[in-house]
Amino acid sequence: MKKRGIGVGLSFYGTGYGNGFPDISRAIVRLLPGGRIGIYCGVTEVGQGAKTAMIQIGAETLGVTEKDIDLIHEDTSLMPDSGTAAATRQTYNTGNAIKVACQNMREKLFEKAKVELGLNSTAGLALEKGEVVLSFFPQKRISFKRLSEIYKDETIEAEGEFVAQTTTMDPDTGQGAPYWPYTFNACAVEVEVDMNTGIVNLLRAVFAQDAGRAVNPHLLEGQMDGGFAMALGYTLFEDLKLENGVIKNNRFSKYLIPTAMDMIDVENIIIEDPENTAPYGAKGIGEPVMIPIAPAILNAIYNAIGIRITELPVTPEKLMKAIREAEVNN
Amino acid sequence: MVNINFTVNGKPYEISIDENMRLIDVLRDELGLIGTKEGCGEGECGACTIIMDGETVNSCLVMGFQADGSNIVTIEGLEKDGQLHPVQRAYMEAGAVQCGFCIPGMVLSTKALLDKNPSPSDEEIREGISGNLCRCTGYNKMLIATKKAIEYMKGE
Repeated sequence: MKKRGIGVGLSFYGTGYGNGFPDISRAIVRLLPGGRIGIYCGVTEVGQGAKTAMIQIGAETLGVTEKDIDLIHEDTSLMPDSGTAAATRQTYNTGNAIKVACQNMREKLFEKAKVELGLNSTAGLALEKGEVVLSFFPQKRISFKRLSEIYKDETIEAEGEFVAQTTTMDPDTGQGAPYWPYTFNACAVEVEVDMNTGIVNLLRAVFAQDAGRAVNPHLLEGQMDGGFAMALGYTLFEDLKLENGVIKNNRFSKYLIPTAMDMIDVENIIIEDPENTAPYGAKGIGEPVMIPIAPAILNAIYNAIGIRITELPVTPEKLMKAIREAEVNN
Repeated sequence: MVNINFTVNGKPYEISIDENMRLIDVLRDELGLIGTKEGCGEGECGACTIIMDGETVNSCLVMGFQADGSNIVTIEGLEKDGQLHPVQRAYMEAGAVQCGFCIPGMVLSTKALLDKNPSPSDEEIREGISGNLCRCTGYNKMLIATKKAIEYMKGE
C-alpha cells in the first residue's frame, strides 16, 4: 500500500560570518590597455557563479557590457583579500566591494575626462557604453579606450572595500541580532510512502527563494536545484557511518548520493525583495537553498502516514521500523 | 610492456604501455588527454566516462591493453572545426555546468544516449545520465540541456 502526503518547510538564514566577526571584502578596478576594465578581487569561483555575478555587478556600475570586463581573481599576489567563498557571503559582501570600487572608478574616469574634454567640473558626466559623456551636451565625450591611450604611462585605478555590519550576541543570554541581512525561503513537497518497503518517493516539489535581487536568475535556479538535490540526499540516503572517527562507508557504492533518477523537476520561484544595503539589492542564497527541504519532506511523511521522523536520513529500513512500531503501539 | 593500436578521437595511435596501466592513465598520462577526469577510481561516479566502440565505459575500470583495436571518443574529440558539439553548446547555454568536474563524462553520456536514441523521454534522459554523479546541479539543467541538444541535432 502506498500513502501520499504533503509537507511544507520554511527557513530564514543569516548570511555572512555574523556575530560581530570581521567580514571584509575588497576590490581594485583598473583601466586596462584598449579601454578594457580589470577587476582585481579575491572572489573565489567554485561553480556557484560568483565570477559571472561579480562581472555583472561591475558592468552595471560602469556602464559597460560583461564582455568589456576582465575579472582577475584567485591569485593572492595580484589582488586584495575578499574573504572566503563561504557563509553565503560573496554576492552581498564582495558584490558590495566591487560596486564601491567601480563607483570610485567612475570618479577617477570623470576627473580624467574633465581634463581631456576641457570641462570646468565633473558635474553632469555619465558613463555610457564604454565612454564618459557629458549628459546635457553629448558631443562632449571620450572613450575608455582613448583615455587608456592618453594615460598609458599612468595607472588609472580605484579601490573599494565593504565591511559588513554585524553585532555580537550576549554571551550570557545568547540573545542579540547576530546576522544581517537574512534571506528567506519556503518549500512544499508531495511524497508517496510505500508502506511495504519504506521507500519514500517525491512526486512534486515547489521551492520559493528570496534573493533580494536575482543578479542572474539562470544561475540562481541552478543553485536552487543543486541545494534541493543535496538536501534530498541527506534526507533520504546519505548515512555517514563513523567508527572511532573513521568513516566506514567512504565509497559511492556504500554512501549513496542522488542520481538524476532520484531527482525530480522542481518548480522554482524566485522572490525579489531588494535589500537596501546590498549591491543592487542582491543577497546570497548558496547555503539556505538546502535548509527547508528536509523539514518539508519529513512533514509530508507525517502527513502521509502519521509518523514523526526525528532522525536523518529516513532510510527505508528506518522508516519500516517506525511503521512496524506504530502498528504494534496501536 | 605491451603494444596497442587504437583510434582516439579519429586519430590512430600505436603505443607501448605497461600491462597494468588503466585506460584512464593511458589517455591522461600517455596521450595528454586530461579532459577525462578521475573521480572515485572504482566505477561509481562516472567522471572518467569515455565512449568506446559506441558504448560508454568507465575508463578507470578498463585496462589499457583492452583498448587494443578499439575506437575511442573522449571529451576532446567532440569539437569539430572549432565548433562545439551540440551537446556541449546546449550544456553551456542551459547553465548545466557548475564546478564542472563531472561534465566531460556527463556530456559523453548524453551524446552516447542521443546517438542511440535521438528523441528520448525525460525518464530515458534521467536514466541515460544516471551513471554520472553530480553534486552541484541537481541534474535538472542537464535535462533541459539534453532537450536543447536534441533540437540542435535535428537542425543539423
